[in-house]
Amino acid sequence: MSWAASPPAQVAGSALRRTVGSASGVASLAGALVIWVALLGPVITLLTHLSWHQITTALAVPGALDPLLVSVESGAITLAVLLLLGTPLAWKLARGSLPFPRVWEAGVLCSLLLPPLVIGLLLIFMVGPFTPIGELLGHVHLSATNTFLALVIAEVYESAPYYVLGAQAAFAAVDPAIEEQAALLGDRPSRVARRVTLPLAAPGLAMALAVAWARAMGAFGAVVIIAYHPYGIPLQIWTTLQETGLPTALPFALVLLVVALPLPLAAYFWSARARGRRRA
Amino acid sequence: MLEADVELDRREFRLSAAFAVAAGERLALFGPSGAGKTTILEVIAGLQEPGRGTVVLDGRVLTRTAPPRRQVPPWQRRVGLLRQDPALFPHLSVRQNLAYAARTRPGPGTGRDEITRIAERLGIGGLVDDRPARLSGGQAHRVALGRLLASRCDALLLDEPYTGLDASLTRDLTDLVREVVAARQVPSVLVAHELEAAQAFADRMAVLDQGQILQLGSPAEVVAAPAARRVAELVGYRAFVPLPADPGTVAGVHPDRVVPGRQPGRGVVLAGPVRSCRPAGAGWEATIEMVTIETASAETAGVGAGGAGAGGTLVPVRLREAPAGGRDFTFTVLAPPCFRPDGTRVTRAEEVPT
Repeated sequence: MSWAASPPAQVAGSALRRTVGSASGVASLAGALVIWVALLGPVITLLTHLSWHQITTALAVPGALDPLLVSVESGAITLAVLLLLGTPLAWKLARGSLPFPRVWEAGVLCSLLLPPLVIGLLLIFMVGPFTPIGELLGHVHLSATNTFLALVIAEVYESAPYYVLGAQAAFAAVDPAIEEQAALLGDRPSRVARRVTLPLAAPGLAMALAVAWARAMGAFGAVVIIAYHPYGIPLQIWTTLQETGLPTALPFALVLLVVALPLPLAAYFWSARARGRRRA
Repeated sequence: MLEADVELDRREFRLSAAFAVAAGERLALFGPSGAGKTTILEVIAGLQEPGRGTVVLDGRVLTRTAPPRRQVPPWQRRVGLLRQDPALFPHLSVRQNLAYAARTRPGPGTGRDEITRIAERLGIGGLVDDRPARLSGGQAHRVALGRLLASRCDALLLDEPYTGLDASLTRDLTDLVREVVAARQVPSVLVAHELEAAQAFADRMAVLDQGQILQLGSPAEVVAAPAARRVAELVGYRAFVPLPADPGTVAGVHPDRVVPGRQPGRGVVLAGPVRSCRPAGAGWEATIEMVTIETASAETAGVGAGGAGAGGTLVPVRLREAPAGGRDFTFTVLAPPCFRPDGTRVTRAEEVPT
């Protein structure tokens, strides 16, 4: 038997393949476009239903932007807490250096899988005024219900799993062989972390932090139960919607997007660039 | 001078090896995969703690399990380790990779001029501003070697670094490491599971199997005079023919250590039909079915069909010219090492011509 395929059959086959290939290419492009437009739909709708006049009147009300300040401040503190406490946890999870690693992971997943409303209810039982923790806080004149502290606690609960799991993936992607070389070249572990591990994980950490920021900014479920006051933007939207209806609530939705989105988008573009540089 | 005495329990066997490597000396740890070679390097580098043992480098005790215990962490050992993965820092330029150790070990040899000089000597002078991702495999290995040079390590460990690279690249890089070891006068240890890699690098070779050093000697010596049948198998002896004068004892046949024709004064003469023949390297590899054997101590003995012993033993040999097919082929195995049934070496004067 000859190995050479007969030329006509080959030509016909490749033409068929090209047709099928281009058809499936067009189909997948169309599918991608549909899902992209569908995902962007709400943002487009928001922009088409808002007029400049509406925005300025809604935001000109005295104190209208106070919730923005509350959200940004609590979000920033939440990020600081996640960075300080979540980063070591993520690193230990990634390196498998914790005893019973699955148990730790399950704990992190738990707060991701629980509905935020349920988290809020449970937090009342944990840090409410009549609990041991609540009493302890009372001794130092703090309260974890309907206060700024409560808002931060709720936001930490809602955003922590996004940061920890993302950061864990970022650390896991750092090749241990590279850290080993750094150590053999004379760096003690803290220096290896500073010169090798953190810079290499940085794009992934930035993405995880950005997602956590967006979650913290939009936190509502746990917040509405444990921290109804002070208002952050999500609660502002909710109460405005309840009291004066959809048109007056929309400008605040835009404010929330404007505040919550730039950081994640910037982090995304920066990390995509950093990854590209390392690969090319 | 690097002295290592390492004992460590592995699941399948107990690793137990002791050796010393002088400054500027190149030792190869040669053995099959899973013999414990890499573990020894990791103990020397401080990445693993041995069950029992000591590692001493230039008088500095790096590991000692006996009191007073000592386990110097890897970052204080000044031991360089090259693996198959060059493990360059992907976020740093080639120059920053080369100069990586400068911050922890400043001094002569880490300045900008010195880095440039090292890069030029390794043939990567034009690449210092590139990122590692742009380098080819060979270039990346040059940078990894340069990074160790600039770190001024006191010992060089090589864990099969050039496995998987093409032959000429492997040769260049091996020569480069040899030059470096000679110039810096550091002890160096190469781990290899390919005999050729070990021979190309080392001036001394330790054959390791199941965690034990079976033989320690020059590469030529180990191949010409393996200390045990297992060593012979590892260094390429592929047939073991029974000696009629001494039942149970076998002579090892290395495919490269044969000459065509009958030369009874130089070893053992074998003859038999050619079973197969194929090109190998610049010559041919033929498989001969041994029918007769002639030793200095015994008359020619037939061991073919009906003969005593392992009649029909297949003996691969490498020859310059293909043997003529259809006829019995006669060849002489030069000074074959002989082994007792338990695998230990036995010196039989008649088999080893003076």
